[in-house]
Amino acid sequence: MSDLDKAIAQLRSCRPIPEDQVRELCHRARELLIEEGNVVTVTAPVTICGDIHGQFHDLMELFRVGGDVPDTNYLFMGDFVDRGFYSLESFLLLLCLKVRYPDRMTLIRGNHESRQITTVYGFYDECLRKYGSANVWRYCCDVFDYLALGAIVLGASSTLSPGMPDDDDTEIEVCDQAGSIISRFPRQRANQSASQEKLEAPNKSTADKTGPPGSGASGSSSGSVGNPTGAILCVHGGLSPLVDTVDKIRLIDRKQEVPHEGAMCDLLWSDPDEIDGWGLSPRGAGFLFGADIVKVFNHRNDLSLIARAHQLVMEGFKEMFDASIVTVWSAPNYCYRCGNVAAVLELTEDESGTGIFQRTNGDVGRSSGAVIESRGGPKNGPARRYRVFQAAPQDSRGMPAKKPVADYFL
Amino acid sequence: MSDLQRAWARSKLGIPPEPFEELDEAEEDQVPELPEAVDDDSSSASSASSVSSTGTIIPTPSQKLFARPQGVARGRTLEQIPWTTYFERELFLKSDANPEVTYHVYLNSPADKGPLYVMHHGAGSSGLSFAVVGSEIRKRLPNAGILAVDCRGHGSTIAPDGAALDLRLDTLSSDLFAMIEATKAQMGWPELPPIVLVGHSLGGAVVTDLAMSKKLGTSLLAYAVLDVVEGSAMDALQSMQTYLSTRPGGFATVESGIDWHIRTRTVRNSVSARASVPALLVWDESRDASRPWRWRTNLAATQPFWEDWFVGLSKKFLGARGGKLLLLAGTDRLDTELTIGQMQGKYALQVFPDAGHFIHEDKPEQTAMTLVDFYRRNDRSALVLPPKVSELLRQGKKV
Repeated sequence: MSDLDKAIAQLRSCRPIPEDQVRELCHRARELLIEEGNVVTVTAPVTICGDIHGQFHDLMELFRVGGDVPDTNYLFMGDFVDRGFYSLESFLLLLCLKVRYPDRMTLIRGNHESRQITTVYGFYDECLRKYGSANVWRYCCDVFDYLALGAIVLGASSTLSPGMPDDDDTEIEVCDQAGSIISRFPRQRANQSASQEKLEAPNKSTADKTGPPGSGASGSSSGSVGNPTGAILCVHGGLSPLVDTVDKIRLIDRKQEVPHEGAMCDLLWSDPDEIDGWGLSPRGAGFLFGADIVKVFNHRNDLSLIARAHQLVMEGFKEMFDASIVTVWSAPNYCYRCGNVAAVLELTEDESGTGIFQRTNGDVGRSSGAVIESRGGPKNGPARRYRVFQAAPQDSRGMPAKKPVADYFL
Repeated sequence: MSDLQRAWARSKLGIPPEPFEELDEAEEDQVPELPEAVDDDSSSASSASSVSSTGTIIPTPSQKLFARPQGVARGRTLEQIPWTTYFERELFLKSDANPEVTYHVYLNSPADKGPLYVMHHGAGSSGLSFAVVGSEIRKRLPNAGILAVDCRGHGSTIAPDGAALDLRLDTLSSDLFAMIEATKAQMGWPELPPIVLVGHSLGGAVVTDLAMSKKLGTSLLAYAVLDVVEGSAMDALQSMQTYLSTRPGGFATVESGIDWHIRTRTVRNSVSARASVPALLVWDESRDASRPWRWRTNLAATQPFWEDWFVGLSKKFLGARGGKLLLLAGTDRLDTELTIGQMQGKYALQVFPDAGHFIHEDKPEQTAMTLVDFYRRNDRSALVLPPKVSELLRQGKKV
């Protein structure tokens, strides 16, 4: 058993590893992350998760519900730390798994992966309490600076279980933590084809561009052979007025503390909202953006869906704007008292095996015309399975006592 | 000065570090000369000189042994700072709705379209609680105005006994609105400037209630609440009477009152305490001639209103229109409603870990910076957002 496997076993039992091991781990993680681009490319199947916030036992529940590493590929969209009581164990475990199985774990940065935020919302104090010094916090913050800002998922299937014609029609499936199906939503063909026709003209006008989806060089989902679903962009917060193509994200110099404004800040802080265009975010950082912004961005970048976290949703997940963007939240009973359920989003593999062609296929000539046929009808979104789960039975040991009541409050 | 020196000085002088109450009684007159118990970062130099000298000579306040050249003297002095240092004028205002009350406010007028920060203090405090933070705001945003009010039963606002004790939230909220309107009338402003409401503690509940009432219409840009959260306030109320009973009933001098606030770390910034504490005390020999400076407001008597102030605060805070800022001291002790609201991105939250309850007095510069940024973000006249897609399409642009 290697040291890393020992560390994983120790962390799985919610015991922190010694400081020198943390330093070593963070060093290795940084060497790994520095090689990643700002936008990591991930291929389906993958399970996408939202905020964790140091709720270690719920993270274990997540792995139980979603399947263990390395059997399941995971993509965590940030906010691993703060607020919960086990930020340290949660983040270090995810980082160990990343170092141990680099191709099966993807971690991207959330707004809480920042020095300034963690000093206020708990992670700093937790490190101080558990190690007696801020060194571990410092090592972790150095890793935060290297985390990717987003990910592109390619090769997701438009059916949940390929080969089973019964399932062919299911676009969304919601399961509970035991795996039984709560509800199923078939594709709405009539509506979809109407919207498809509307999009037809602009599709053609941009189809002369080539390249991987999510890059400015891309045409549209109809411009590629073999992947009927388009790509999925994963980012912690949302869009930025300074970012109109995914390639603009790739150009950011990300190896720094999260700034107070600018593209990098917006990606980690913005929220979708029922407005027209852009709006001021009440959070004090980032922006609000409406359906029009999402649809134009998705179209321009050959995306079928944006998956993001950052906002607490009581039902665990929330699709908005005709399923062009989804919020995934993975911290059940947030802060041990909000009473919400959590969810993860499963995207299955497109079994034709051609999905990955998108990454390298620069041949435009083959695309037009053939596409509509190969789709067998309009299926523009990937099939999505949401696994909803509740908080793990809480083990109150090691939990700090209730926060002291302020003595003066008038 | 090292801890060792401090400890030595304490033992030499026979000063127990705590409790403070006994000290007040036993050595009332000497309190100003015992700076060792004061924890103030800004003046380590003068404290070093004072420890060496207290061993040999006991200076009296009249000698002003450690006085610095004026402006606002920093360091060990406990001298009061008059309100005129921070405000252009004070106004005594009447309102038709409550003719028996004479409202008192401090004002710096806003200049050319600058915002007006309307500040409402907490229970037992006064408008001068915002003196220092107000001037810090104006250093950073020179055209901003500051309107710091004294609510009824507090500061220099005069109300007959019955009315002074009517501290229902409704009353306080209409009072605040009346004071804003009366200020506008007295100053001859044609219309209200853009307003940022700022309330500390009880004041937070008042400004939130006013924001929710929509009385200010479109003049209200945003509102900020300083260190009060419904859930934790309700929890703290149970222990409030106990806390209040530990306060001394009065002080021999205003200076010893200032000193008490600094030493107990009730206010952790001596300049703020020197500006704000004098307004909390009134001269009344009748109860205890040796300690004639009594509290202006009998906080214990306001207990019937405590629940009324805070019930429903979180809901109103999230529900009212306008930019929202919550500024907390210590840790983020949010209640469930605000935790959900925060994680859904409904307001801005800032925490100052090393401040006490009087967050704007403890950290006037940081608070001012936060409030100025908060205004700049919510300033409608300056806000330029990228165009909407529908507008681009209308202009015939390709999107």
